[in-house]
Amino acid sequence: MALIDVKSFKKSFRGKTVHKDISFSVNKGECLGLVGGSGVGKSVVLRSLIGLEKADGGQIMIDGEDITKFSESQLTHVRIKVAYVFQNGALFDSLTIFENLAFPLREHTDLNENQIQEKISEQLEEFGLSGNENLYPNQLSGGMQKRVGLARSIIIGPKAILYDEPTAGLDPYNTLKIQEMILRMKKKGVTSILVTHDMPTAFAVCDRFCLIEDGRIKAQGTRDELENQKEGYLKKFIDGERGK
Amino acid sequence: MKTYFRNFIQFLGGTTLLSIEVFKELWTWPFPTKLTIEQIYQVGLKSLPIAFITAASTGMVMALQFGLGLEKFGGKLYVPKIVSLSIIREMGPVFTCLMLAARVGAGITSEIGSMTVTQQIDALRALGTSPIKKVVIPRVVACLFSIPLLVAIANAIGVAGGMLVGSSDLGLDPQFYMQKIFETITLTDYFSGFAKAPFFAIVISLVACYYGLNVEEGTRGVGSATTKSVVTSSIFILVGDYFLTKAFWVVEQWL
Ligand SMILES: Nc1ncnc2c1ncn2[C@@H]1O[C@H](COP(=O)(O)OP(=O)(O)OP(=O)(O)O)[C@@H](O)[C@H]1O
Ligand SMILES: [Mg+2]
Repeated sequence: MALIDVKSFKKSFRGKTVHKDISFSVNKGECLGLVGGSGVGKSVVLRSLIGLEKADGGQIMIDGEDITKFSESQLTHVRIKVAYVFQNGALFDSLTIFENLAFPLREHTDLNENQIQEKISEQLEEFGLSGNENLYPNQLSGGMQKRVGLARSIIIGPKAILYDEPTAGLDPYNTLKIQEMILRMKKKGVTSILVTHDMPTAFAVCDRFCLIEDGRIKAQGTRDELENQKEGYLKKFIDGERGK
Repeated sequence: MKTYFRNFIQFLGGTTLLSIEVFKELWTWPFPTKLTIEQIYQVGLKSLPIAFITAASTGMVMALQFGLGLEKFGGKLYVPKIVSLSIIREMGPVFTCLMLAARVGAGITSEIGSMTVTQQIDALRALGTSPIKKVVIPRVVACLFSIPLLVAIANAIGVAGGMLVGSSDLGLDPQFYMQKIFETITLTDYFSGFAKAPFFAIVISLVACYYGLNVEEGTRGVGSATTKSVVTSSIFILVGDYFLTKAFWVVEQWL
């Protein structure tokens, strides 16, 4: 059964149409790669899935509920189920790493201080970030910030995770780390959508791909299906990306 | 011209919606007490020096000007009356709030603006919390609490500044000066000035939050949003002052 199901999603900004007709679905436990050129609106799709942008038309079904008409307060439980990993971590820069990670726990769980402490050290350990609890985000490298952002998004155990270019601008070491983490979450049965320009990472973690172009899904399928397609959209896209 | 008009309508709509949301979420549990106290420190305590300096120099300069001006007509004895009355009714609240529109308003807009640009506001929403509750309400409530207090302090300092100049430069007896102040100023006078403070506090904080949340085009946008925030709230304070004065005047007639 599909955990995320988007039907004829439409979106424009101030008269400028970004999406005309986007439909795709993601099954439980699956990892979908959402690819497309810069500015085609991949982030807009991802943001709309948890109601950060309001859809102009169509349906967005999350776990069987159409969220397009939800109010901010109704969206809260959707956002607990579906985590969003921001491009640059989006850490709260007035809070320490510890407080950043504690934030969702304090908001949405009844854990006491000791349990929170325990959970956070566990999480930091898993993400190779131990010992940075008391630093502020601006004292960490970009790669580490992204990892903390990822850790914060998943600390309350979401059913699905949306990654917006989690490896953009990272060195090979950090890229590999992020890949490992995405795979680890996938192994736990978490559903995911990955927006990226980084095709090696996409091929390493995604089961299926959707290629967005000109406000529509131009092609979708597994890597093999797309590579054997006679129009060769995926190949054109990848060659285009390499050419940049 | 057309874009100015459109921006203005957008601003009015946006701030109205923001105030409605603030009002709605103000009563939902839990109230962000800790964040509000932090903001009271930022807004209130840290603005004390600027409120102090503004009030003291206003009071002193006014005493000097009136003193020198009225001396020619032998009206120096009216200085305590005129100076304290104009400070209490008008100068204290308005000058303090104008300075706070600059200091506090700019601070709020640039801080929220950079949170918007770095997606921290989106992150608050994505983590299932409300930026209104976590960011806007603490600032609005802190302003609503601190600014009237700052105005009250500024009123006292301004009057004291006038008295200082009155006794040192104009040769008026401080005891006489004090006596005149208490003879002149009624509670109605005091409140017709002081009661403006909460209105100005709401204007400063809501305008600043609105511009901060609606920053566009990256870091460059934070600068222009900050400018707009300060200019807009200053204008609203100056124009609003006229209408508030008029409204209070009508109320005073009833009393
Ligand atoms: N809040 C907004 N207001 C106006 N236009 C917007 C807004 N958000 C996105 N857009 C427009 O929508 C289009 C798609 O933006 P989006 O950020 O989704 O692209 P993207 O595919 O994620 O690109 P990139 O790979 O560069 O991140 C852009 O042309 C952008 O100008
Ligand atoms: Mg993007």
